[in-house]
Amino acid sequence: MEREDLVGRVMADMDPELLNFLRTQVNSFVKWDLIRFFGENPYTTDTAENIARYAGRNVEATQAELAELAAQGVLVEQRLGEMTVYSLSSNPEVRRLIQRFLEASNDRQFRVKAIYHIIRGMR
Amino acid sequence: MERVKTGVPGLDEMLRGGLLPQTTTLVEGAPGTGKTTLGMQFIYNGIIECDEPGIILTFEQFPSQFYRDAANFGWDFRRLEEEGKLRIIMTSPEVSLQDLQRVGGQIEALAREMGARRILVDSISHFQRLTHDPLQLRHLTYTFVNGLKREGLTAILTWESPVLLGEPGEHDIGIPFIVDTYIILRYVEIESAVHKALLVLKMRGSDHDKDIRQFDITSRGIEVRSRFEGHEGIMSGSPRRMADSFVQAFVRR
Repeated sequence: MEREDLVGRVMADMDPELLNFLRTQVNSFVKWDLIRFFGENPYTTDTAENIARYAGRNVEATQAELAELAAQGVLVEQRLGEMTVYSLSSNPEVRRLIQRFLEASNDRQFRVKAIYHIIRGMR
Repeated sequence: MERVKTGVPGLDEMLRGGLLPQTTTLVEGAPGTGKTTLGMQFIYNGIIECDEPGIILTFEQFPSQFYRDAANFGWDFRRLEEEGKLRIIMTSPEVSLQDLQRVGGQIEALAREMGARRILVDSISHFQRLTHDPLQLRHLTYTFVNGLKREGLTAILTWESPVLLGEPGEHDIGIPFIVDTYIILRYVEIESAVHKALLVLKMRGSDHDKDIRQFDITSRGIEVRSRFEGHEGIMSGSPRRMADSFVQAFVRR
């Protein structure tokens, strides 16, 4: 129990803004992939089927996560004819946070901590 | 007559000064012939030399690949995006077609907001995903092309030819009939070396150079050079020396 608390404290030792972003928005590996994808390709607008293909994930898993990210304000969901399409929010604050997260993800220690929080959140 | 300069050395001369404004140009070629490079060069030169912002619509290649490939030629696409002079949009044919047809769509809004004058669509071949009916496909592509013209954009559309050497495959959907200008890029084998050839096959409303020219992809992008001399059957991919043809036609009879 004590050991788990210690690990938790070590893992929580990261920038509070990024920790909050991880816990509230990047709380699954598919979302992590999607946030990275939209961060690297910020002017993408497409359907869940096509985005799943770009991200190399299956459509069912991607569809639900895209909808959640849209509900959280990270993405924008729009109807286009009979299609539902997703694009990155144009909110500068959201875009700044995503860029910070992507830059931090280049660091191995950050990645280890981020994975820990995602797995804990999935339990 | 007003011209939209591509900025590709040698090509504007072939086009008698450049493309005509608000027209569409099809650039067809096999993988690696330089279709996308030519399109990127058109967009880059438009921004840098003519102060004409541009849009790249990509249906397969990720924008991050465009940033990387452009950087190899010294073109900083990331900076141009930050400055609001360029947008690389990754989407699909079905979404872009719907988007362009509705009022206030993303492409329309972006073109007006940025003052975009040029667009590269890479590649229009992906429209084949939309339907197997050739007539329907031609109709959809025609609608798309007209949407780009409506927005005042001068467009380069790339088309992937599956044939590495030799004559192009037939366009079942008649895309060359829809576009204003048709440029073909080909690999040509001459004396065990592969060269690249460029031909302006059609240019509606303007005269153009009919020569088949050699071109290279250099560290600065595409450079169109002189015409192929002393050979015929260039576009077949395996040209013959003119003298050999003469012997074949008259001496060996």
